Formats: sequence, C-alpha cells, structure tokens
Amino acid sequence: MALSADSMRCGEFRTSYKADTTIFPTPRSRNFALAGLLALLVAPFIFDSYVVSLLIQIGYYAIAALGLNILVGSTGQISIGHGAFFGVGAFGSAWLSNSFGIPVILAIPLAGVMASAVGLVAGIPALRIKGLYLAIATLAAQFILEDIFSRAVWFTGGPAGSMASEPSIFGYIFNSDQSYFYIVLFFLVVMFLAGANMLRSRDGRAFVAVRDHYLSAEIMGINLAKYRVLSFGVAAFYAGIGGALFAHYLGYVSAESFTLMLSIQLLGMIIIGGLGSVMGTLLGVTFMVLLPEVMDMAVGAVGDVIPGLAEGSSYLKQMAIGLAIVLFLIFEPDGLAHRWKQIKAYWKLYPFSY
Amino acid sequence: MTHKLNVCVGLAAFIGSVTIAMAAETIPVGQLVDYTGPTADISTPYGHAVQDSIGYINDNGGIDGRKIELKTSDYSYQVPRAIATYKSWVSGFKPVLIQGWGTGDTEALSGFVAKDKIVYMSASYSGHLTDPTGKSPHTKRPAPYNFFYGPTYSDGCRALIEWAKGDWAKKGGEGAPAFVHMGDNHPMPEAPRAACESYAKDLGFEVLPPIRYSMAPGDFKSQCLSLKQSGADYAFMGNTTGSNISLLNSCDTVGVDETQFMTMVWGFDENVVKSAGEATDGIVWPVGSALWDSEAPGMNLIHEIMAENGRTGETLHYIRGVCSAFYMRDAMTMAAAKGDITGPTIKAAFETMTNHVPTELEGVCLPHSWTHENHRGTVNIRVYQSHWNNGDNTFEFLTMVELPRRDDWLGW
Repeated sequence: MALSADSMRCGEFRTSYKADTTIFPTPRSRNFALAGLLALLVAPFIFDSYVVSLLIQIGYYAIAALGLNILVGSTGQISIGHGAFFGVGAFGSAWLSNSFGIPVILAIPLAGVMASAVGLVAGIPALRIKGLYLAIATLAAQFILEDIFSRAVWFTGGPAGSMASEPSIFGYIFNSDQSYFYIVLFFLVVMFLAGANMLRSRDGRAFVAVRDHYLSAEIMGINLAKYRVLSFGVAAFYAGIGGALFAHYLGYVSAESFTLMLSIQLLGMIIIGGLGSVMGTLLGVTFMVLLPEVMDMAVGAVGDVIPGLAEGSSYLKQMAIGLAIVLFLIFEPDGLAHRWKQIKAYWKLYPFSY
Repeated sequence: MTHKLNVCVGLAAFIGSVTIAMAAETIPVGQLVDYTGPTADISTPYGHAVQDSIGYINDNGGIDGRKIELKTSDYSYQVPRAIATYKSWVSGFKPVLIQGWGTGDTEALSGFVAKDKIVYMSASYSGHLTDPTGKSPHTKRPAPYNFFYGPTYSDGCRALIEWAKGDWAKKGGEGAPAFVHMGDNHPMPEAPRAACESYAKDLGFEVLPPIRYSMAPGDFKSQCLSLKQSGADYAFMGNTTGSNISLLNSCDTVGVDETQFMTMVWGFDENVVKSAGEATDGIVWPVGSALWDSEAPGMNLIHEIMAENGRTGETLHYIRGVCSAFYMRDAMTMAAAKGDITGPTIKAAFETMTNHVPTELEGVCLPHSWTHENHRGTVNIRVYQSHWNNGDNTFEFLTMVELPRRDDWLGW
C-alpha cells in the first residue's frame, strides 16, 4: 500500500469501527481544527471590519458550497440551479421574519427547510435523468425560480426586493460585522460538522455508492431514487441556510443577486476546492472570495504604473474568476484539497515522494 | 528584480501614508457608477461629469478651502455590490455625501442612509424618494436623506401625459386616447408606472396593460407586435437608452406607425439618434437641463470643464451631472458657513434652497426647491421632441409643463 499524507504514523492503530470513522483523520488534524476555531473566535477583535466582512462572506458561501459539494462531489449529480436555492433561503428568511415576526435566529433554519422543500421538488428530474440532461433540468429550476423572485411581490417584494432585519438574541442586536461574524461562525461549525458526520454515516456511504457505481449500489439494495432526491434536498437545505445568512448580513435581498452567475461561482468554488472533500470546500470558497480582492489590490498596485488598468479593474476581476476555474481544471483537477494533501505528503515523507 | 519590487512596495507605502495624512482635511464623498453594466452608456457621461466637476471645484478653492476627496466605485448596476460598497464605506471612508446612480440601489439604500445620516444624491429620479417624512398615503418608505437634481420620473411622465392630451386634441383625435407603459420589471421603469397610469386615467386616457421589455438590449419584435395590435396612441418607454434603441429599431421593422413614442429622462439622447436613426423621429421626452445649443451663460462653465478634461461629443446627460455636482457644492458651502460639513448639515442646507440655481450655471440647471417635508426638487418639466430631418437631427422645445405641488403626489 502506497504511503500518503493520510497514512497512520507508526504505533497508531484503531481497534473499533467507531475509531476508524472519526470526522478528523488524526488527533493532530483535530487539534489544528480546534486551534483554527479558537483563532477565528478572536479574529473580530484583531482584524478590522473589512477582513471580518470577508470572513463572513467566506462563511455563508462555504455553507452553500458544502451543500453543492455533497450533491456534486459525493453523490455525483450535477446542479447549476444552486444559486436559486440560495435565493429561496434568502427571500424565505426575510419573508418569515418580516411577515410572521419569527425571530431571525429561528427564521434562518426555517428558511433552510423552505429551500430544502424547493430542492426536493427541483430534484425530482434526478430520478430519471443524469449528467448533462440533469444539468439542463436544474438550469430550468434556476430560471423558473429567478422569474418567481422578480414577480412574486407577496414573497420577495417583486423587483424592489425586500429588507431583511438584523438578528437579535434576548435584546442584543447583531448589527455590526464583528457581532454578526459569530452567528455565521456558529452556523458554519454546526453545518460543517453535520455535513462531515453525514458523509461518514450510512446515508453518506449510500451517496458515495450512488456516485461510484449506481448499478452496483442498486443491486446492493440502496434505493437510488430516495438517495438522489435526498441529496438535492440536503444540498438545498445548506444553500438555504447560506442564503439566509447572506440576506441578514446585507440587510436587503433582491432578485438580481441570485442569477446563473452565482450558481456557476458556487460550482467553481467546489471544483477549485476539491469535489467530495469537506475541507476542500472551505479552501475553494476562501480562494474564490479572496481572488477579487487580491485582483483589486494587484490592479491597484500595478495601476499606478500602467494607467489604463484601473479603469478595467472590474473586467479583470471577472476574467480572473473564469481564468482561475480553467487553470484549476487543467493543472489541478482534484482541487486545492488534493494539492494540500500532496504538500503534507511531501513534508511527511521526505525524501521519499511516494 | 527583487530590489525593484522592494522599491515599488516602498514607494506605494509612502504614497499611501501621505494620502492618509492628507485625508484629514478633505471632505469624503462617495460615488457609485455603472461603467460596466447595463446602464453604462448613460452612466459614463454622468459619472465623468461628476468627477470632472469635483476636480474643477477642487482646483478652484474647494469648499471653504477644503478639497473634496472622491471615491468612485463601479458596481455594474448590481444592487448587492452597491450595498456591500456602501457598508465598507461607512466603516472606513465615512462619506458625508454619496453621489449615487441607479434606482434599485438608491431605493434600497434610502433606509440605510437615513439611519447613518449620509446625504444621498442619486441619478435616480424615482418618485419613491421624494417624501422625507412619509406623510403621503402613497409613500412606501420615507427618504429623508435622498435628494436629486432633476424632475422625478413620475412627474416627467405626468408632464408627457399633459402634452399628449393637448396633442390628441390638436390632432383631432376622437374618443379617449390609449396610453401604454412599456418597461422592464425592474425598479427604475416601475417607479413612475403607478403614478403615471393613475394620472392618465384622471385625464381621460384609456390605460392599456403594460408591455414588458428587458433593460438589456435585444430583439423586441414580439413586444412591438403586441404594441401594434393593442392600438395604443401614446407609448411611454420606461427603460434606458440601450434597450430603447433596440425597441425603436424593432418597432420600426415591425411597422408601428400609429403610436407616438414618449420616453423618460434617461431614455433618449444623441446616442439613440445615432443608433436608431429614422426610428427616433418624433419622439417626445423631458429634458432636465439646457441643451448643447443653449446660449445661456452657464454653458461656458460646462465647456470649460469639458475642455479641462478632454471630453468631446458627450451626450446631454453630462450637463445634468455637472448640475448635480454644483448643487452639492452649494449645499456644502452653505453648511460650511454655518458650521461643519456633515450629513445632517448638508441636508439642512438643501432644505433651505428655494428656486436655487448655482450662480455659475445660470440658465443651464433648472431651479430647484427642497423643504423639510418635500423633496420634489422641481415641478417644471421642459418637454422636447426629436426631429430626424433626414439626418440633420434637431431637438425642438415643445412646451414647459408646470405640475402642481400636490401633497398626495409625493412619494410615488
């Protein structure tokens, strides 16, 4: 068996299935994750508002992207309607908290449930079709939902959009970036742990079986229909939670935020991060969120030398996103997660590269 | 190579620190533009005009000796990007006034700027932004910190309806003329629709169901066929120049001859004439300032600012951008005379203006009046008509409509 970064160190052995299927592969990786979480807990006190707002963006996109990764990476289906589910969560949360007075902190999970219901309906084509045809069916869901967003005045406020209020718990209003960061962090940790846990559970193994060889999975007794649609439901739930967090962060939701471009961006995030990998999702989202900012800084720095560049900076940002996806597909198709594993393996197994 | 990089980084840091040091005395003003989105063709002259004017103001003494520090952000007409930019400004740059652009983002931000007390001068003339205290029954949300230079979209449409009523009588039309509102399902075209259709009904028009056409240019032959079949006598195009060009071309191809086209302030300019040619013959629309052929003394300043910045062949929206910047200058000067330049003091300065025109722009900008309870700056609308004349296009001044200052016309 080839050595790799995930190989166990000498003297480590597992004596039960439970020990073998831990969320974190080694105690060291678990400790690093905990240290990272502690660092994030103090981040708002150290960094300024701009960095915190970037972290919040990474947070809600990561939740939505994890949903898509479960659908695409783990279950092997394809969806280019994920942005619309994100929108259902955003509008749903705003609608629930405005129309029914439900506290925002409860409206967010309820919006996830609403998005999940929509996702289950949108996933019905998955029962019969796969691959490119399923992609078109989800594209149809994207367009239909987009149109509903711009016309359903009772739900979304029509073209004018709707306002989303800030969350408040026991009278404390989370209206600054720093305080809202903790809400996003809470949901991020919960959803990621839930996602990682699901992937190691029976349902998660069923998803992977459907992806790897659906015929064998069916023969083994896995209900293909149930797991294909369930995957859509779970993905939409994640997207709904991400969307609700987005809505209450911005304070305003409008239909033009949830276009096909967002769906492609979410797909790009998980492709860059690594399909089927939970950690990869986080890496990919971080990359995609920081890319426009880095491009801004780079263009700003180079723009003093080449004057014309500053005017075209928003074009350059758009181009950079597309270029990043293409370059990753060519040079690193397994994503940043795989590249990170290679880096770990290099250091661990030096001087042997295999 | 590394040495050069170090030098560049060091230089950038030095320049950055000097800028930060200078920022203490400047007046921070934010500007939102759409240079890369669907309304780029009209935002470019307007945005340039505001930038050029602020440069001119800075070069000529600034405001009470203080220079305006302008930060421009291109949000591509995507409202969430505008809101994200606004939020980052509020926490860092802290502008006292924002020169905004589009209806969607201005209406969305009206609540935010009211809370943060930042004056918002938009290029959106939506009627929804005209009620600062919310006293009109039609007002969805009070907008105390919103101001704009120009007649509201609703007032522009009402003025066109009045002109159309007179035109129908002059043409000897029988019965009730039919009016149709055309526009995208989007805040800007939607803004005047309710007010306009209601006023048309009041004046005896038959109001037909609205026709939707996208704000992005495209093929609108099916909409033109619907227009032809509906038999509308007067059609109001609510979108901006880009999509209007496509609509006029499509309708010319389909052969819509019986309908008089009217449009709004942002819907027509020299570029539309250039692109749609003969299809633009006879279009009627409101103009919010003097035109290029005006001999008013204020045009000298416009030409001077354009020459300083190397601008040629600008559309008529450039003039309104200069007007907007100079009204801002006047309000800031009035605020500085009474004390400090902050959002609330600029708002108070605006609300003292009665029939105000910046001195250097006499005859170019329309007189504007704002009060604490009424942000409908002007109710005088100059209606123009475009004549193709086989390529020798002219804009003919038809009439000046003065609309009443009705309290129930605020806010929509």
